Amino acid sequence: MIPLSWYLIFAAILFCVGLYGVLVRKNAIGILMGIELMLNSININLIAFWRYRASDGIAGQAFAIIVFAVAAAEVAVGLALIISIYRRRSSVVAEDMNLLKW
Amino acid sequence: MSTESIIWLIPLPPLLAFFLIVLFTNRRKALSHSLAVGAAILSWFGSMVVFFRAIRTEHLGLNPFESVINWLPTGDTWFQIGVRVDPLTAATLFFVAWTVLMIFIYSVGYHNFGQPKGDHDKAGLQPHGATIEDEHGHKHKAPSIEPMYSRFFAFIGLFAFGMYTLVVSNNLLTLFVGWEIMGLCSYLLIGFWYQKPTARAAMIKAFLTTRVGDVFMLLGIAYLYTSVGSLSYTDIFKPETLQKLGSTPAVGGFLGLSAAALIGILLFIGTVGKSAQWPLHVWLPDAMEGPTPVSAMIHAATMVSAGVYLIIRMYPLLRVGSEAGHLSPAMSVMAVIGTFTAIFAATIAVAQNDIKRVLAYSTISQLGYMVAALGIGAYVAVAFHLITHAFFKALLFLGSGSVIHGVEHGVLHTGEEVDPQNMFNMGGLRKKMPITFWTFLIGGLALSGFPIITAGFWSKDEILAEAFGNGHWVVFTVLAIAAFLTAFYTMRQITLTFLGEPRTESAQHAQETPWTMTLPLIILAVFSITIGWAGISESFPVIGGILPNIVHEFIGGTLLEAPEILPFNIWPLLISVIAALGGLSLGWLVYRNQKEGAEDPLKMALGPIHTVLKNKYYFDELYNTIFVRPAYWVADNFTNQILDRGIIDGILHFIARVASNVGHVFRNYFDKPVVNGFGDFVGEGVKKFGRSIKIIQTGKVQQYLLMALILAFGAMFYFVFTFLQH
Amino acid sequence: MGFVTDNILALILLTPILVAIILLFLPKEQIKLLRWVTLIGCLIPFVLSLYIWLSFNSSTPGFQFETQRIWYGVVGSSFHLGVDGLSLIMVLLTTLLTPIVILASFNITERVKPYMMLFMMLETGMLGVFLSLDLLLFFVFWEVGLVPMYFLINQWGSEKGEREIWGGRKVSARTYASFKFMIYTMAGSLGLLLAIQMIGVSFQTYDLTQLFKTFPVATQLANIPFKLPLETVKAIAFWAFVIAFAIKVPVWPFHTWLPDAHTEAPTAGSMILAGVLLKLGAYGFLRLVLPLYPQEAHRYAGALAFLAVMGIIFGALAAYGQDDFKRLVAYSSVNHMGFVVLGIAAAAYAAGTKDAILALNGAVLQMFNHGLSAAGMFFLVGVIYERAHTRNLNDFGGLFPLIPVYGGILIFTSMASLGLPGLNGFVSEFLVVRGSWPVFTLFTALSMIGLFFTGAYILKGIKKVLHGPTNEHWVGHITEINVREIVVISPLMILMLAIGIWPAWILGVINSAMQLLFKG
Repeated sequence: MIPLSWYLIFAAILFCVGLYGVLVRKNAIGILMGIELMLNSININLIAFWRYRASDGIAGQAFAIIVFAVAAAEVAVGLALIISIYRRRSSVVAEDMNLLKW
Repeated sequence: MSTESIIWLIPLPPLLAFFLIVLFTNRRKALSHSLAVGAAILSWFGSMVVFFRAIRTEHLGLNPFESVINWLPTGDTWFQIGVRVDPLTAATLFFVAWTVLMIFIYSVGYHNFGQPKGDHDKAGLQPHGATIEDEHGHKHKAPSIEPMYSRFFAFIGLFAFGMYTLVVSNNLLTLFVGWEIMGLCSYLLIGFWYQKPTARAAMIKAFLTTRVGDVFMLLGIAYLYTSVGSLSYTDIFKPETLQKLGSTPAVGGFLGLSAAALIGILLFIGTVGKSAQWPLHVWLPDAMEGPTPVSAMIHAATMVSAGVYLIIRMYPLLRVGSEAGHLSPAMSVMAVIGTFTAIFAATIAVAQNDIKRVLAYSTISQLGYMVAALGIGAYVAVAFHLITHAFFKALLFLGSGSVIHGVEHGVLHTGEEVDPQNMFNMGGLRKKMPITFWTFLIGGLALSGFPIITAGFWSKDEILAEAFGNGHWVVFTVLAIAAFLTAFYTMRQITLTFLGEPRTESAQHAQETPWTMTLPLIILAVFSITIGWAGISESFPVIGGILPNIVHEFIGGTLLEAPEILPFNIWPLLISVIAALGGLSLGWLVYRNQKEGAEDPLKMALGPIHTVLKNKYYFDELYNTIFVRPAYWVADNFTNQILDRGIIDGILHFIARVASNVGHVFRNYFDKPVVNGFGDFVGEGVKKFGRSIKIIQTGKVQQYLLMALILAFGAMFYFVFTFLQH
Repeated sequence: MGFVTDNILALILLTPILVAIILLFLPKEQIKLLRWVTLIGCLIPFVLSLYIWLSFNSSTPGFQFETQRIWYGVVGSSFHLGVDGLSLIMVLLTTLLTPIVILASFNITERVKPYMMLFMMLETGMLGVFLSLDLLLFFVFWEVGLVPMYFLINQWGSEKGEREIWGGRKVSARTYASFKFMIYTMAGSLGLLLAIQMIGVSFQTYDLTQLFKTFPVATQLANIPFKLPLETVKAIAFWAFVIAFAIKVPVWPFHTWLPDAHTEAPTAGSMILAGVLLKLGAYGFLRLVLPLYPQEAHRYAGALAFLAVMGIIFGALAAYGQDDFKRLVAYSSVNHMGFVVLGIAAAAYAAGTKDAILALNGAVLQMFNHGLSAAGMFFLVGVIYERAHTRNLNDFGGLFPLIPVYGGILIFTSMASLGLPGLNGFVSEFLVVRGSWPVFTLFTALSMIGLFFTGAYILKGIKKVLHGPTNEHWVGHITEINVREIVVISPLMILMLAIGIWPAWILGVINSAMQLLFKG
């Protein structure tokens, strides 16, 4: 059986990839995708820990499913925001969006 | 009805008429004068009833008709006011009622009732005449009705109320009420034609000059009230009260007088103002600005008589302290002032050209007679002269009004620019205005004291006899000279006005006045003769004793000890007859040939003295310089500018300024640097710090995230190392 | 009905405030509604005080219609109201003048709502002073009356005019006047507050009915602050009271706020200021100073009489020197209130004698009379000012033919103010003169100078406004007095005449009150 640490290393790499995408991508959709990656890396962690440490309960799976639901909702809202911004400004470049400053 | 209730009612009808006219009927001229004259008739009737009941009552002086009511609560007691008719009051009521009624009737004609409205007449100016067209289409000017006709009747109604109140009062306070109401009315009536600047000045002069006397009188009343505890005559004239007043020294030991003397002098100053005695005489000649009935009312019938009435009334008090041959201080003051006024005013009257002004000065002079006579104790003679004077002087004033009215008619007719009051513009009016002439002649002779037939002779003679009999030589001499002057200026007036030939066109076209004016003249003329018969001394040769000396018995009965009748003496009689006849003849001789435009012969005879006399010894100018202008300076410059604005407000402003400056110091040297400085420092510091770290707030989500990451790492390292240490 | 009769004083006192609250909820554009609500509202206290007047028993000593409620128990102060003859007269004057003044201010069109509310507050303040039987309450209402007047002068005062203060600086006249009024009166009331506090701490109560019994006779006390001697406490308190009231009366030389405030205030403000507010000071003398400090009052009565005579003389002279009609009338208040103070001083000196009772009768009646005549005079000045927009006497003259009815009313009211016998002013002035003559003979004699100049300035006013050649300049501009204005002035005129002819109806109450209060 594959040791737990492999899953964890994989999840960590995946998280770092997602984080990198979030930090450096210019396109907001890219940033969103990075966030998805980060969330999924967490899911991997959750499932891995569940399987190796507490496989007699369902807590790990339940958490993972909640994260899915959250991710789905977040993507829906995030995309809607991006579309709305695009309609207004004809741009999805995150650098251009500095409304939070005000 | 009981006599007391009638007395209460006597003053009321004119007051009621006043209110009715003012409030309701002031646009209805006929109704207004009916109300006023009706009220005067009612009061007259009441007065006559009271008078005749009084005459028939035995010992009225001891038991006068009297009735009182509570008026003012004063601590535990009440101040009572009431009415009282004793012989003096009854006699006063008699002449007041007659003269007032006559003046009311006369006013109807004087203000041209029944004439058309004037073309350009305005309220507050004398009517200027109306153009009327007769049946032939000729236009000519005729007198026009007074625009403020109703108002005039309202005012004289109030005036009559004031006089009746004064007369029937049983105490000094209500007397003072009537006194001041008359003062107000004289003010309003003198300024009746208020658009004339002269009238406007005269009304104020009259009010203020008399007010000088009034404030002293008020003090006298307060003093008397304090000392006696009552103001009713009955209480004041109790022998023990008078005795007490005479023996108490005046408050503060004033000039070493007794209380009675000081009170007497204070009250007498009221009379000086009201009866226009020197030095407060200046208002009375100017009061001629009023319509003539008003002049008659003020000068003859009521107001100035009120002053003399007051001192006659107060005689028992004034007399306190006088023994045989020695006058009390109050009486000495009266004798001096009265005698001086009598001669002083008579000399001025000689040089006046205005028909009414002559009479005004003559009034002052005659009042001086009365005051002087009371000063030497001629109680009955004064009351007698007051009555006769009221009748013949009212007659003369109304007569002069009639003359002016007649001449004004001529002025309107001819369109001449002449003064209808100047006697030098008249002459020969005896043919044009016979009734006026004969009545005026009677009045004038009475004033001069024409022997035997006129009332003035009897009363004036009695005064001179008293002065002579009691040995007051100075008074006697001066009064005799004044009597001579009186006769002279009276005859001067009669000659210039009625005798000779008309000196102007207007006098040529003068016309007799309507019956409403001549009827009062006739009635007053009758009294000017007959009233004298009531006071013929029993010891007078030949005719003495034919008629009873009612005046002496009746009025003398007012006093507790009736004054004794002096034995007859031929010298004063002779001197008085010589003075009268001499003055009359001289007046006639000097003025009988006065020509149109010619100078007054007196001017040539007297030279500069005439100028002084004509200018009334420059008293107006003198008072203006020493009283009026300084008073205004004190009021305006001293009190307002220097005292209030300068000193008091200055101090206030100084305090405010100091406070303001202290505030400034605090603000500039403490608040601003210390308190504000600290606050500013804190605020500014925060601001600077914020500004310096504001660059990290870029608004870019990725940078925020990066910062969060760095901080998270930092935190992680911190925890890791902390935990590792344990 | 039981509720009303039991709490009648509280109702009188608080109805105006209630009216003010109602006004708060009315729309400000409905000017007519606001006016009528105020007028009807302030008729209620008048009716209630008439009821008190009719059911008042003037021969009972002490206070009647008393109400006492817990208010500030910790310091010994309570909401204690009551009337005796003295305060009843003043309450009646206040409740009578307020509707008249409200009716007089029907011509106000700007900011009617706050205006009316301020007036209602003012009425409560004035009534509170007259009704309180508790020193602290007295002080509270004393100050309550001050604030609305400040705003009335400051906001609705005459718009023209400037006053130079110092260093060439100029401020608008109404700002100056309102500021002076406020600061001056406040300066006086500071001492008053201090004195009241001191009494309160020393005696553990603010209740007047108790203080009247204990204060004048107190010889030693436990709670004196700073361990001061009792004499010092009394002396400080006496002078603090005297200065506060003297400023309000105003006694010469504390009077210079008065001509400014009266002149700049709106007509109705001047009416109430002269009519009632000045009486607060005199009332303070009668209610507090004389009963609480008989010995001190006796000692210093001469000085007070001197100041009163100075006020009479210089008030009259200053009025005579004015060219501003309203200022002339304002100074006449100094003159007339001088007689009130002279009467009080005489009574303080000769306490318990008949002269004192007479002087006090005169002083109280003079307070009432001055309330009538000064209010009337200010109103008449306002009437002509509204039409001509000037108060300069030299611009008038010859108005009688244009406005005969107004002229008649002006002469009548002026004569009442002058003290013509037969009208109200004479009775009170005579009583004061009679009462103070045996006490302060010289001062009384000197006050006659003032009485003479009273005549002079009144006649000057009449002469410069009414008499003289018709003034063509004003033809068509100055119109006859209207019906509303006649309605305003007629109750005043009727009362002037009624008191002048038959003073016993009001003097009876005053006389018994004065006897009960001040008879040895």
